[in-house]
Amino acid sequence: MKLLLIEDEIELAKSIQNYLESNDFVCEWVKNFSSAIDKIAIYSYDCILLDIMLPDGDGFDLLTELKKLDKTDGVIIISARETLESRIEGFNLGADDYLTKPFHLSELLVRIQAIIRRKQFNGSNKIIFNEIEIDMLSKVVKINNHEIEITKKEIDLLLFLIGNKNRVLSKAAIAEHLSGDMADMLDNHDFVYAHIKNLKKKLRNAGCHINYIKTIYGLGYKWQDE
Amino acid sequence: MAPLFYLITNQFYLHEIDETLILTKSAFLNNSMSKLEEKDIPVWNRFNTNIEIQNSTGLKTDTLFNKLYYNNIEKENEPYRELNSPISIEGRPYTLSIKTNLLETEDLIFTLLLLFMSILALLFGGILLINKFLSTRLWKPFYQTLQQIEKFEIANYHKLNFASTDIEEFKRLNNSIERLIERNIIIYNNQREFVENAAHELQTPIAVFKAKIDTLIQRDDITEGQSKILSSLYKTTSRLSKLNKNLFLLSKIDNQQFSQKEQVSIRNLINTQLVFFEEQAIKKNIIISTDFQNEIRINAHAGLTEILINNLLINAIRHNINDGKIIISIHDKILSIKNTGTVKKLSEEKLFSRFYKATTSNQGNGLGLAIVKKIADLNGWTVSYSYSERNHTFVVHF
Repeated sequence: MKLLLIEDEIELAKSIQNYLESNDFVCEWVKNFSSAIDKIAIYSYDCILLDIMLPDGDGFDLLTELKKLDKTDGVIIISARETLESRIEGFNLGADDYLTKPFHLSELLVRIQAIIRRKQFNGSNKIIFNEIEIDMLSKVVKINNHEIEITKKEIDLLLFLIGNKNRVLSKAAIAEHLSGDMADMLDNHDFVYAHIKNLKKKLRNAGCHINYIKTIYGLGYKWQDE
Repeated sequence: MAPLFYLITNQFYLHEIDETLILTKSAFLNNSMSKLEEKDIPVWNRFNTNIEIQNSTGLKTDTLFNKLYYNNIEKENEPYRELNSPISIEGRPYTLSIKTNLLETEDLIFTLLLLFMSILALLFGGILLINKFLSTRLWKPFYQTLQQIEKFEIANYHKLNFASTDIEEFKRLNNSIERLIERNIIIYNNQREFVENAAHELQTPIAVFKAKIDTLIQRDDITEGQSKILSSLYKTTSRLSKLNKNLFLLSKIDNQQFSQKEQVSIRNLINTQLVFFEEQAIKKNIIISTDFQNEIRINAHAGLTEILINNLLINAIRHNINDGKIIISIHDKILSIKNTGTVKKLSEEKLFSRFYKATTSNQGNGLGLAIVKKIADLNGWTVSYSYSERNHTFVVHF
């Protein structure tokens, strides 16, 4: 899967690039508007990560350019600007998603995955991990071909973990992902433990012989296949 | 003033009456006396009430005096001014008595007095009215300016409109005030922009921070001690991030960026988020109960209203004790959130100011209530705090 990262902040860009590449993505990186324009003219990407505040141009103009070239590359806008107007403008110009800085890299990853899924299979696809099968359209989870009873939050959690497999996910990242808009109102992350515990139990009862959810002491959790 | 006038007029009039009496006497002497015979006297007296020929009383000179005579018609004594003068008819001495009824003249004087007083009063009243009218006209621009200044609020800046005036001093006043306000608005805007820009700029370095830590925790060679530090760093980054977001929010509210209003149901807002807060309350084993006696529907920005309620609720959890309680109630247009908490009553004036923290809890960033107050002020709602027996209550009056 090929990604293009358009971000002028070097340190941030490096972190994003590392994280994505260790998750089997090819991630190219440009620092400014002119290089970005060159790249999209020649290549196609599965997903473009666009910072709209670039030193030599307005990121929104890039969206217009993509439309002109009739490109179907997915676009996630990453920006420090959090106004409703910016979001609306972004979506109107064809962006697929909008993430406000600062964000968790794990969050960015699952959003990229969601867009790629949408683009490739028009959303009607299944996520399969060993004996676990998640139907994205009907939101039904089957383990060893038996449907299990699972809550919406638990599906969210499962997708988040699997999407970020083999990466340590902090409790904070999980808590913020599950809380969505209410992430700013979080006082404590204790509820994460309860959801993880419940999910582990459901997976075990359904017949998963490996406990995929590993507890990383003091830091968080990791989904691992061994 | 009046008594003096009366006395003078009276004197003057009496003097005139005396002169008239004397004139009458002269007229009599010139015209009638020489033609009169003694036998005419009774006839004269019968047909002249006020000019009487009396028998001589030994009077040598003209004498003027006041005397009361009984009036048959009015049935009372009336004052007269009388002139007695010695005359002779057919060589024999008589006394001529000429008198005038003073009562009527007294009435006349009284009427004159009244007239004079009325004219004075009218004049005086007229001057007062004209004075008031002119004065109002004169000061009108001043009061207009005053009214505008009183209504002025730097946060809701509308251009002030001073009425044009010809009066030099007021023109100067208006111009000075306009310039003063302009300068202050510029300063205020600069400050606002600064806060907004600062918060905005901070978001990127905080993002880098978060990203780096996210990367760091991926390493499998982290010791237990290191993971503790990392965990703490992680938490601090979250705090920084939230604090920054709150600062940003405050400055956006100041910038009037939330003007879109819609119908909002308070009850629905709370019910939608209740699950989230109940989950948050689990840690301290707090029980949240609701008592909604009616619906509150208001016209406001939905997002901001949500933030207001969320901030109050998260505070109720944050500053609660273990096994504590939270009661959310609605009745009429009032929302009240009561929570059990510390024994100390919080300081009401300082409570809603920025960065005030009652405890050294490291969870809140001190801006929650400041944001609540700002949103309430923006919508014309009031928010207040009260304390009784370990229960802290926040009340919002919509």
